[in-house]
Amino acid sequence: MQSKPLALTILDVVSIIVLAISAYLALFFAPTEAVMGQVQRVFYFHVGTAWVGLLGFLFAAITGIVYLVTKDLKWDRVEVAAVEVSLVFFFITIVLGSIWARPAWNTWWTWDPRLTTAAITELIYIAYFMLRQSIEDPERRARFGAVYTLLGGISAPITFMVIRLFRTIHPVVIGNQSAAAQGGFDMTSDMKVAFFFALFTFTVIFVDLFWHRIRLGDLQDKVEQLRLKVSM
Amino acid sequence: MFLETIPDTSGYMIAGYVIAFVTMGIYVASMYIRSRNLKQDLSTLESMDNEHKSKAKRK
Amino acid sequence: MATTTEQATRTASTRTTPITPSFFKAMFAVVQKDLAAELRSRELLSAMLVFSMLVILIFNFALELEPDIRRKVTAGVLWATFAFAGTLGLNRSMAIEKDRGCMDGLLLAPVDRAAIYFGKVISNLAFMLIVEAIVLPMYGVLYGVNLFQPGLLGVILLGSIGYSSVGTLISTMTVQTRTRDVLLPILLFPIIIPVLLASVKASGGILSGAEFSEILTPLNLLIVYDVIFIAIAFMVFDFVVEE
Repeated sequence: MQSKPLALTILDVVSIIVLAISAYLALFFAPTEAVMGQVQRVFYFHVGTAWVGLLGFLFAAITGIVYLVTKDLKWDRVEVAAVEVSLVFFFITIVLGSIWARPAWNTWWTWDPRLTTAAITELIYIAYFMLRQSIEDPERRARFGAVYTLLGGISAPITFMVIRLFRTIHPVVIGNQSAAAQGGFDMTSDMKVAFFFALFTFTVIFVDLFWHRIRLGDLQDKVEQLRLKVSM
Repeated sequence: MFLETIPDTSGYMIAGYVIAFVTMGIYVASMYIRSRNLKQDLSTLESMDNEHKSKAKRK
Repeated sequence: MATTTEQATRTASTRTTPITPSFFKAMFAVVQKDLAAELRSRELLSAMLVFSMLVILIFNFALELEPDIRRKVTAGVLWATFAFAGTLGLNRSMAIEKDRGCMDGLLLAPVDRAAIYFGKVISNLAFMLIVEAIVLPMYGVLYGVNLFQPGLLGVILLGSIGYSSVGTLISTMTVQTRTRDVLLPILLFPIIIPVLLASVKASGGILSGAEFSEILTPLNLLIVYDVIFIAIAFMVFDFVVEE
């Protein structure tokens, strides 16, 4: 654990390279979208970060269950890592979405199901960290954290469903067109290349950061153990 | 509200990418700082632990 | 490590006990205890009631509840009031257990933990319903709306069940933390949003005299949410009370 594994170093380098390629594809290779112009280019990173954000939250809920079954604190560290990395990516998603919405829908924020659910999900996992911070006992912290990620993981999709059902009955109208109509566009094949490459890129980056964060958690645990040992 | 020409929204795009990269950068930096601090703690604690052990031996 | 396995086996053994008459006996014992204690002190209900009144009062000034606005926002105001008053009740009811050491006694008792959970849910639900039963006619009188419609009462019951089943689970966690009172709403509200949304939609629909088919969707969602979260809470409650 002390020395950085070679695979991780390779993954670091690969992450940087694919990120650079992905940025190139998104910023220069993909054609400019006709209606929204340049700002549509944030779409690639927007969806990429959203994808890994969701992946991480799902993963956190699963590791939460694994922790509750095995009671092995290792899984708690994996869970925290997943939530933290996802929180960062989801933050990027929301900010990019907001930046995209400004010129496209003429507003920074719409109470559209996806945006609202994203914000609520972000709040759930911020609350998760607040919960963890106010518990000292590591075992209890892990248990409560696992229960809460489980609750959050189930509640978030229901929230999305509920909002979507009601917004379809009462569509949000911005300007003259509905949000859905104005946000949509057809992807050309070049756009698809940039799009799928962005998904791939963020998956790689996610795995990389996730790994680093787990190692950080392990280190934290080790320091904690030693501190207890020395103070005794 | 269809516009005939492509609107110039590159400012937003640049802002978006800057924020995305800065956020990731801050996160990576925070992880680096946290791990560096932990490593420092670890080495201090290890030396304390060793002192402890050698003292115990002398007794 | 030995204690963990011990806990695990204990958990497993409580989990496998079938739902027997003693389960209901234990559950009702918890409910009875809570209601009796409340009947004596009345501190929980009075606090929730006064707080609800104040929230409605604040909404009155904040929203300038003119008659035409009122019709649209009544459902929202009511549910916001219930949600806020509810956290007060949950916090208090769990804090009493914790502070007086009742929780440890309860957990030491040879009963299924789920019986304790359901007992607490029922008593928390009872407090909420009592407050709602007083707030509704008050609001009705103050603003001249008839809130005693069977459909609305049904929605309020369903929403309150969802609220207290999740609320009981989360407040059991938060009373064991350092910043307990502060933490409860922060943890509870984002999880409870589907209930509040569906309840507001369904209540609003009923109050504006919508067709039954229109409120069917939120109603179904409420039922689905209630069932899912009661099941989840039932499964994980053991984990939040372990010592």
